[in-house]
Amino acid sequence: MELQEKITILSGAARYDASCASSGSNREGSAGGTGNTSQGGICHSWADDGRCISLLKILLSNDCRYDCAYCVNRSSNPVPRASFTAREVVDLTMEFYRRNYIEGLFLSSAVNVSPDHTMEEMVRVAEMLRNEERFGGYIHLKIIPGSSPELVRRAGLAADRISVNIELPSSESLQRLAPQKKKEAILAPMKLIGAEAGVSLVERRKSRKAPRFAPAGQSTQMIIGASPETDLQILQLSQGLYRKMNLKRVYYSAFVPVNEDNRLPVLSAPPLLREHRLYQADWLLRFYGFSPEEILSDDAPNLDESFDPKTAWALRHPEFFPVEINRADYAALLRVPGIGVVSAKRIIAARRFAPVTHEGMKKIGVVMKRAKYFITCSGRPFDKIDQQPARLRQRLLLGEGSEPKQPRQLVLPGLG
Amino acid sequence: MNHYLYDGTPEGLVSAIAAILDSGDDPEAAHLAVRQDTLFEEGLFLRTDSAAAEALFARLRERAPDAVQTLWYFTMAETSELETSLLRYIALAFEHGDRVNGYLTHGDVKAVVATARKAGRELHRMKGLLRFEQLRDGTWLARMEPDHNVIQPLARHFSRRLRAQEWFIYDARRHSAAHWDGHALSFGTLEQFSRPELSPEEQEVQQLWQTFFKTIAIPERKNPRLQQSNMPAKYWKYLTEKQGE
Repeated sequence: MELQEKITILSGAARYDASCASSGSNREGSAGGTGNTSQGGICHSWADDGRCISLLKILLSNDCRYDCAYCVNRSSNPVPRASFTAREVVDLTMEFYRRNYIEGLFLSSAVNVSPDHTMEEMVRVAEMLRNEERFGGYIHLKIIPGSSPELVRRAGLAADRISVNIELPSSESLQRLAPQKKKEAILAPMKLIGAEAGVSLVERRKSRKAPRFAPAGQSTQMIIGASPETDLQILQLSQGLYRKMNLKRVYYSAFVPVNEDNRLPVLSAPPLLREHRLYQADWLLRFYGFSPEEILSDDAPNLDESFDPKTAWALRHPEFFPVEINRADYAALLRVPGIGVVSAKRIIAARRFAPVTHEGMKKIGVVMKRAKYFITCSGRPFDKIDQQPARLRQRLLLGEGSEPKQPRQLVLPGLG
Repeated sequence: MNHYLYDGTPEGLVSAIAAILDSGDDPEAAHLAVRQDTLFEEGLFLRTDSAAAEALFARLRERAPDAVQTLWYFTMAETSELETSLLRYIALAFEHGDRVNGYLTHGDVKAVVATARKAGRELHRMKGLLRFEQLRDGTWLARMEPDHNVIQPLARHFSRRLRAQEWFIYDARRHSAAHWDGHALSFGTLEQFSRPELSPEEQEVQQLWQTFFKTIAIPERKNPRLQQSNMPAKYWKYLTEKQGE
């Protein structure tokens, strides 16, 4: 089969993976070698769906023995099948990298003979890149559930990031939609990776020559909207993964109905807005000090479509506001809609020089059209703000004019 | 208000600022601009003094290393409007050290930092969007037309990354070029330029990339507007994946 055709099949089959991050690793290139990594990651292009392209995201093979309901590559689907050789993937990565198309490789695969058989071949690709090509760029390897601990270790030593897909937000859904995959087979390598990364960190503190284990950490992804879990359940799961498994990122992937299957819901379009809101809430968990229970409750277990989760929280908690910009601490500033991590830090830096005024807030880059309802600057509210909750909702929803605003841009935030 | 003029070069700008600060004149009451040589132009022309510019850099590096970084990015913007703001920014940097970059509620600091940040953003963007093509003789060429003069830091980035291949970067807007020979970087200008012939394999690899680019997008999520806001059309001219659009 021609290389062109293989790329078409195997990148088409890989596109439903959400992650494309190339951040979190900082490797100097070696003399005579090619490639390094950049702490913040670099996007090299943006595809027609607006998502960033940072890595050559591709499957080693789409020839699968599993028959998961949601997956385009499931064994019962009559799609064309293809497999790369390890050498083909290595060459393609190097050719693309030399032209600066990519930061590196994100390799995943369907499972045909056995998990170990596939994992071994994937690890071989990474090891060839590192040892034969002296490649110093970014490598993300997907771990095949059920592969042996030894292969997981080798993967972690060759790659910058490794990930195991949790696939669905509960084991019941996994049982129903992917009966050949077991929760234990997914969680075991996750735990192993967390432990190995911890050991490597300790060793590297003693000696800088100790090998790095997945320096950019571990991530996972789950499909949203193919199963009945609430947003609260999803966020609680994510919080657990961040806390207990020490994951770097959880990716949410809006369910795209690629198969007809009576176990799956019928959707007219992928739930992109829900995915967007989950990413916003995930941000609140990781950087804003929110807990899942603050964002959602058993009475209201799903995220509001009209408001971002922080604004929704603010509307439910009028007693917290207004926040005084010149006195509030960092944590309180972060609770204000329209003030993000960057603006909060800037406010704190700027008020050391002089009290921050409303004009100053704009210079700092605060989104005043949201923030103005929730703050005072040296005791002064912005204009004559009506803080009566019902009218506030209305104004935030409609903006200053009378035209209702539709949420238009769905961004996969911070693929970095 | 005291009016000062300089010759319009980055070096002239820095040396003029050094002269004004040394004169003891109040930066808040000074005005600095490029000399236009018009009949009624008023102001004291400050001659470019490389040694004075160097000395200012060295002193600032001691006092506020982040501000030197900001100044460096500011000059990449090649703007000729914010000289007076820059003068006041540097005076504030000497006064407050690196904390100055947090004084965003000050109009001049804000203007300088925002300009520098914009240049930094384009530099970061070009690290991703630059495309190298293999030439017939085995060397590599990347062409670009960035808004900011980013070629020096950009070339340094690639001297660490693509160190095993010999390459050129050409800025078609400024006719400037960078060359990495596998060991060292050099910079120069090119008045005449035409792209040499490509290597025989080049076309084939470009097609593989174009295929990948097309199929990696999820058709059900097509969003050209988002694509364009992330990757403005002004960069498409040299993007392999955007040829023929």
